[in-house]
Amino acid sequence: MSDALIETAGLTKTYGSFGALNGLDLKVMPGEIYGLLGPNGAGKTTTLKITAGLVEPTAGSVLVAGLDATKDPLHAKAQIGYVAEVPILYESLTPRELLEFEASVRGLAKDSVNRRARQLAEAFEVVSVFDSPIATLSMGTKQKVAIMAALIHQPPVLLLDEPLNSLDARSSSILKELLSLHVQRGGAVLFSTHVMEIAQRLCSRIGIIFGGKIVAEGDLDQLRARAGEKDATLEEVFMKLTNEASEVKSIVRALRESFFDDEDR
Amino acid sequence: MKIADAWRLSAIPYSEMAFRSILQNSSNMWWGSFGRGSSESSGRQDLVERALRIARFDKLIVAVFVTAAAGAPFLPQALGASYGVSASVTLSLAVAFAFIVLYGVQTLSSFVTSGPSPVLSTLPLMRRDVSLVNLLSFVRTNDYLVVGSVACQVFFVSLLTGSALSGLSMLFAGAINSAIGVGVALWLSSLFYRNILASKQGVGGSALRLALLLAWGIVVLGIGVLFAAAGYLIPMVQGVLANPDALTSTILALVYPFSLGVSVGSVAHGFTSSGAETAALGGTAVYLLVSVVISRWSVGSVASFPERLSNAAGAGRAHDTSVALRRPVAAYVLKDLRAASANLPSAFLFALPAFETLVVLLTRAFLPTLGASTLLVAMTLGGMVSLILPLVLISSEGNGFDFAKTMPLRIRTIAFSKGLIATAVFLPAVAVVYVEGLIKPMASPFTALIPAASILAVAAASLLEVRLFLGFAPGGRAAFVLQEFARMAAGAAVVLFPAAIYAAIYIPTLNHALAAGAMIAIALAELVGVADYVRRT
Repeated sequence: MSDALIETAGLTKTYGSFGALNGLDLKVMPGEIYGLLGPNGAGKTTTLKITAGLVEPTAGSVLVAGLDATKDPLHAKAQIGYVAEVPILYESLTPRELLEFEASVRGLAKDSVNRRARQLAEAFEVVSVFDSPIATLSMGTKQKVAIMAALIHQPPVLLLDEPLNSLDARSSSILKELLSLHVQRGGAVLFSTHVMEIAQRLCSRIGIIFGGKIVAEGDLDQLRARAGEKDATLEEVFMKLTNEASEVKSIVRALRESFFDDEDR
Repeated sequence: MKIADAWRLSAIPYSEMAFRSILQNSSNMWWGSFGRGSSESSGRQDLVERALRIARFDKLIVAVFVTAAAGAPFLPQALGASYGVSASVTLSLAVAFAFIVLYGVQTLSSFVTSGPSPVLSTLPLMRRDVSLVNLLSFVRTNDYLVVGSVACQVFFVSLLTGSALSGLSMLFAGAINSAIGVGVALWLSSLFYRNILASKQGVGGSALRLALLLAWGIVVLGIGVLFAAAGYLIPMVQGVLANPDALTSTILALVYPFSLGVSVGSVAHGFTSSGAETAALGGTAVYLLVSVVISRWSVGSVASFPERLSNAAGAGRAHDTSVALRRPVAAYVLKDLRAASANLPSAFLFALPAFETLVVLLTRAFLPTLGASTLLVAMTLGGMVSLILPLVLISSEGNGFDFAKTMPLRIRTIAFSKGLIATAVFLPAVAVVYVEGLIKPMASPFTALIPAASILAVAAASLLEVRLFLGFAPGGRAAFVLQEFARMAAGAAVVLFPAAIYAAIYIPTLNHALAAGAMIAIALAELVGVADYVRRT
C-alpha cells in the first residue's frame, strides 16, 4: 500500500454513451496541494465527486487515507472535507444548525467544535449571519459556510471544487493560508480550478485532465519540459498540452473579423 | 405588452419553476449503495425529462381531481334532490377555492423563494411587463384546475337550471373565485416565508414560528375536512338559506362564498328581493371589487417577493457561534424538524398529530363502548395517515441530501430518525384512545392492547418505507411508479397485517385475549424484523 492520502486507479465513469472519466490515475501525497486543471467537461468535478462518495464510479478504485472508498465509504468519508463548486447545503437551516447537525453526526467533541466554529466564523466573517437561513445568504457567504463545514472536523483530506470562485479577496487569502497550514501538518488537498495563477502559486503539483484522463502532471518545471516550452506560463503550457492553442487562435481570429473588423456593425 | 404575448412568454419561467420545484424534491433522494453493486443508472438528462413529465402529469391529475370535487356538490341535485342551486354553488366554489389555494401554495415554493424574475430580468422588458409575465407564470400552475373546475360548475348550473344566463353568472362567480384564490395563495406563501425567515432567533421568534406552523397546518388539514364533510354541509346550508328573510340567512349571504352562491341562485330561480338575496348581491359587488384589487396587487407585487423575503431574512444578527451537540439519530431528527418547518409543503406535519387524533376520534366518537372492530379501524386509519410522513420527510431533504451523503452516515441513522418522527406523530392519537378508555367501557380489557400493537406496526412500517425509498435506484417513469407503489404497499401491508391477524383469530374463536396477544406478537415481530433489516444498512 502506498503512502498517498488520495489514490485513484483506472477510475472510469460513464453516463450513457458519454465517458466522463476514462481510466483516471492520480496520487496525492501527504503535504501536497494537487491542482486539477482542465477545460469544462474534462472530468474534474466527477473526479472530486467520486472521491467524496457522491457519485459511484463505473469502474476503478479510490483509496482515501488507505481506505477503499467504494468498499468502506463510511470510514473514508470521515477522512474527507468536501466543498462543491456550487455549495450543497441544507439551505433551510442556519449555519449554526448545519454545523450542529454535522458535528453531531460526525461525533465530534463539543469543546473543539465550538472553538473551531468560533475561529472559522470570525475568520470568514459569518458570525452575524449564524442564525440566518442559508437560503437567504449570498453565494459567497454560502461558500464560506460550506468551507467551514468542510474544515470543522479537521480532516486529513480536503476535496475542493473551485473553492475560491465566489470568495472575496480577504476570505480567499485566508483560505489559501489555511490550505498551506493544512498540508504543512501532513494533510492533502485535491482541488480543481480554472485560475492558472492560483494553480501556479498554490499547488505543489498540477494534473492536467483532458477527456477524462490525466494527460500530464508534475510541478510547473516538469510541465514546461513536457510541453517543450521552457519559459512558458502555466496557461501557455496548459493550452499546448490540451492542444487548444491553435484552436483558440483561429476562434479569436474569426471573432475579431465578425465583431471588430465588420464595417457594418 | 399584450396579454397574449405575456401569456406565451410566461411558459418559459413557468417551466423553469415547475422543474425547479420537482427537481429539488426528487433529484437527490437516492442514497445509493456506494461500492455495493448498484450503479447510478440515470443521467441528468433523464432527471430533467422526468421532472418535466411529472410536472405536467401532476398538474393534469390534480385538475381532474379538483374538477370532480367541484362537481360533487351538484350531484345530489343532478340525482333528483329538490333544493335550489345556491348551496351547491357555494360549496363548489369553496372546494375550488380551497384547492386553488392549497395546490398553489404546495407547488410554488420555488416561485416565492426565488421567483422567475432572474430568468426574465436580463431581457429588455419593462418592470410592469416582467410582473405580468411572472403573474401569468404563477397562473399557469393553476390553469388546468381553474379552467376544469369553472367549466364543470358552468356545465352543472346550466344543466340543472336550463338557463344560459345562469351558466353565465356561474362563469362570472367562478372567475371572481379563481382571482381571489390565486391572490390568497400568493399572499399566504409570501407571508409564511417572510415570517419563517424573519423569526429564526430567540424564544419569542421560535414561539411565533411554531404558532404559524400550527395555524398553517390546521388550515391545510381543515380544507381536507371541509371537503370530506361536504355531503353533510349541503343540506345544512340549504336549510339555513331556505328562509331567505331570516337574519341568519341575510348575514350568511354577506359571507364569502355564500354571496356568490346565493347570487347565482337568484339568477337561476328569479330575484325575489329577499333580505338574503339583496345582501348577496351587495356582497358579490364587494367581492368583485376585492378580486380586482387582489389581481392588481398580484400583478404589482409578484416580482418583488424575493427582494422582500431577503429584507425580512436580514432582520436579526447573531453574536455568538456556540453549537449544541447530540447523538446522530437525535441530530437527524432535529435537522428533519428544522428543515420541514421551513419548507411550506412539509410544514403541515406539525398539525398531523391533531389531524390523526381527529380521524381516530371521529371514527368512534358517538359509540358508547370501545369495541375491538372500531378500535382496529380507527388505529389502522390513523396508522395509514402516519405513513404520509416518511415520504414528506424524505422530500423535504431537497438538494441538501448531497450534503448528508458526504458525511459518514449510515442509512439506518436516517431510517431510524424518520421512523421515530412518524411514530411520535401517531402517539397523541393513541393517548386519546387510552384517555377515552378511562371514560367508556371496553369490549374486553385485552382490546387495550390494540393501540399498543398499532404503535409497533406504525414504527415498523415507517422504518421499512424509508429504507425501501433510500434503497431503490432511480430509473425511468415505469420504474419510478413501480417503486413508489411497492414502497407504499409494503408500508400499508405492515400496518394492516397485525389488525388482519386480530380479526382472523377473533372471528372463529371470539377470544379477545388470544386475538390481541397474536396481534401484539405479530406487530412486535414486524418491528424486530424490520429494525434488524434496517440495522444491517
